[in-house]
Amino acid sequence: MSSRRTLAPYLLLIPGLAPIIVLMTLVIGMAVSQSVTWTDVSGKVSLSLEAWRVTFESDQFWRAFLYSARIGTLGAILSVAFAYPVALWLRRPFAGSDLVSALIKAPILVHGLVAAFLYVNFVSFQGFLNVALVGLGLAARPIRMQNDPYAIGVVVLQVWKNMPLAFLILSGSVRAISDDVLNAARDLGAGTFGRLRRVVLPLTLRSLQAALIIIFIGAAGDYTFQAVAGPTSLNSMAQFMVRMETDNGLQGVSLAAVVAVMLMGLSLCGSILLAGLMQFLVKRAGR
Amino acid sequence: MVSDAPALRVENASLRYDRFQALNAVSFSARKGELVTLLGPSGCGKTTLLRAIAGFVPLDSGRVEIEGQDMAGIPPERRDTAMCFQSYALFPHLTVADNIGFGLRQKRLSGSAMTARVEEVAAQVRLSAQLERLPAQLSGGQQQRVALARAMAVRPGVMLFDEPLSNLDAKLRDQVRAEIRSLQRAQGFTAVYVTHDQAEALAMSDLVVVMRAGVVEQMGAPEDIYRRPANRFVADFIGTANIMAAKVVAEDRTNGLYKVATPLGEAVVRSDVPPVAPHVYLCWRPEDARIVSHHETGSLQTNIYRLQVRSRTYLGNLVDLEAGRGESDGESWRIQTHGLGHGASAVNPGDTMTIEIAPERFRFLNEAVT
Repeated sequence: MSSRRTLAPYLLLIPGLAPIIVLMTLVIGMAVSQSVTWTDVSGKVSLSLEAWRVTFESDQFWRAFLYSARIGTLGAILSVAFAYPVALWLRRPFAGSDLVSALIKAPILVHGLVAAFLYVNFVSFQGFLNVALVGLGLAARPIRMQNDPYAIGVVVLQVWKNMPLAFLILSGSVRAISDDVLNAARDLGAGTFGRLRRVVLPLTLRSLQAALIIIFIGAAGDYTFQAVAGPTSLNSMAQFMVRMETDNGLQGVSLAAVVAVMLMGLSLCGSILLAGLMQFLVKRAGR
Repeated sequence: MVSDAPALRVENASLRYDRFQALNAVSFSARKGELVTLLGPSGCGKTTLLRAIAGFVPLDSGRVEIEGQDMAGIPPERRDTAMCFQSYALFPHLTVADNIGFGLRQKRLSGSAMTARVEEVAAQVRLSAQLERLPAQLSGGQQQRVALARAMAVRPGVMLFDEPLSNLDAKLRDQVRAEIRSLQRAQGFTAVYVTHDQAEALAMSDLVVVMRAGVVEQMGAPEDIYRRPANRFVADFIGTANIMAAKVVAEDRTNGLYKVATPLGEAVVRSDVPPVAPHVYLCWRPEDARIVSHHETGSLQTNIYRLQVRSRTYLGNLVDLEAGRGESDGESWRIQTHGLGHGASAVNPGDTMTIEIAPERFRFLNEAVT
């Protein structure tokens, strides 16, 4: 009877967990198996690490890897950095706070591709921003901002698109901190920064980590923003994966699979690093 | 040890939220080492007053002085107060030791001094074995003691308690109440204690401040408040009271004797304080009446009333009777007598009994009948 009782909750989890585990296993398994199966032009298939060797020897791959890691990290950190103070500010309702909150969440409704085209139009040579800068006398002639080599445009789009997501995650946990807990800290001598460091940040650490991880994974694997607004001299990992698949004939599948496995590895390692870094910083700040 | 120097003084504190007057010219003071209770029903302003003392809400007018210093413009983190919250408000991510040491860390105590203080306070509240636990791993009573230890650790000038026992069960409440009072006496800290439980207020306080609708109705020692309530609200709120409209028909002020007509019958009242008007409210407590036996009635002459019992409730140590002059109409009065006492076990609903109320047991309230 007791073993049945113990088993029952696990059985109830199966409908939810099983599809996740099956799909994850299939995706990872297929990507890994394809990455080690080298197919040559004759259609001969053999187990091989050739695709890994070719990919790892490619400078373009490593540039794409570092580029995606950089965009993912910057996108995640900046989105959270912008969303966190707003979430704190909107913690207690005030006149107009619902409107501000709704405006912050509005970018969720705009598709990434649409946002990217809007941004490109906005910063293009004849776009609104350049016209305004010249018209206001702030610039003598239009400035080239479209597809900038530092990927500022991509980071801006990532932050614009992901900040609402970070805000949604963070605002819930910030609001969950009771006034009494903050008042108790205040009553015991903690000023604004003391309360932030020693109460608010530790109590919202899990949400901060969740927001960073979710945004990092999305931003590191971005294709849309990069393809429309990114630098033309660089590829993101997703872009590089597609290029490998289309430019290399039959071997393309294996090469793309290697990039896919590396992208998943980047997501995993980057998430762990960011979450760990955040935990370290919060604990250090709380000391 | 209570000293004459005031540790806390509240003068004409007033606060308004839109149309709601939360506090209206409230004044009281607490001497060093004294435990003052703010007592009143929900919404009377007692918690608001406590939060104003802590600095969480600014007053519209009036002042709060702690150790002679005006607190106007001083934020809570710089006031010499520490509060025990109704919800405990423990920091869930910190261990018991870190919770207790939170305020000490803010005061930048050295590591060894802080550890020593935390251990000392934890021992006082019997939490030495739980120092490494998180609040979620503690019982309600233990969490309450952590909150108390956390506030005590910073050795504040004034300790503020916001209904700290309301989340505990009855037995634990009695135990923690006794612990708080004994610690307060031993440590000698000044405390302001908010409660709506009159038994708690009477049991713990040096001074009780009874509040209603943002106004102080009466303040005094627990016994004074109970024995000499100022008005109908205080008489009714503190314990159970029989309140009657009375008309003074004869008076002998020299001897403090008054003859009054009441719905209970004619009564002789002995009072040091004369009635405020010829038509005045008169109060007596349920335990002030004594059920008298048939053979006694002949020898008694004053304040003897024959009443019919309407209901009888056995409360273990007490028997609570509701009785009136007729069977069901007219006013009724509460009479409480010891369960084993004379007459209590013999009377049942419908029976007629004779009660005696000694003249000094009646109190005139400072409230005229209008």
